[in-house]
Amino acid sequence: MGLSANVLNILGLVFLSHASYEHSLLPSAAQAPPQSSILPSVIDPNINLPIDVVLETIVSVLLLCAGVVLSSPDLKPIQWNVWAGRLERSKDARQIKGFGQGGGNPYAALEERPGFLDIRAKRKEFAAWVKDGGQGDKVQ
Amino acid sequence: MLDERELAIHPIVQESVQHNARTVSNIRALTASLFGVAAGTLGLESLPGFIFYFTGTAIVSLLIFSLKAEQDAKSYFFRPFSDLWAGDMFGGLMSFVLTWTLFYGLCKA
Repeated sequence: MGLSANVLNILGLVFLSHASYEHSLLPSAAQAPPQSSILPSVIDPNINLPIDVVLETIVSVLLLCAGVVLSSPDLKPIQWNVWAGRLERSKDARQIKGFGQGGGNPYAALEERPGFLDIRAKRKEFAAWVKDGGQGDKVQ
Repeated sequence: MLDERELAIHPIVQESVQHNARTVSNIRALTASLFGVAAGTLGLESLPGFIFYFTGTAIVSLLIFSLKAEQDAKSYFFRPFSDLWAGDMFGGLMSFVLTWTLFYGLCKA
């Protein structure tokens, strides 16, 4: 995507500068063209240019528009469920970087806070472990 | 339409809204100057130049809609009409006029 957008941008710039250079060389462009018979005089463009210069300008601008739009960063979804779902699935966000950070869950800091520890169960586990004489793995 | 109850059921990510608005306004600023270059090169004067600008911004809106927003403006913009289609229409007008007059003078002189 990035490479093709850059190619589009460069092509558009080359064509656009070539068109304006060609226009600046033309002496006939300064004279007023004959009035158009179809368009009303207010919106008549009054262009006295060869058709190839006009087409080159318009095509190059369209190329540049597509290139600019393609090379801009991607839009992000604004609904929370779509955004959070994408976050949970992305490999980058799933890495756990610290307590309550990463893991792909934007609510991780809320869900994993120590207040939610079941302290009675922990105490029972510890008592069982002590009764065993401290042998075996301590259950986390 | 989008009232408080609707927002409570479907919350909005503020960060993404800002990111999208910034991206769209960057695209608009860049393309407005480009349209100015083209209008000056074509030698457009008065009303046809402005018509050229508004046609161009409409095309850019369509390009954003089809290439970046995946034909679904509702999921990328809080208010699709004002944020994508009509909102920044006059934002780039000044830079358009600037480059328009510059290139008109460069080509005619």
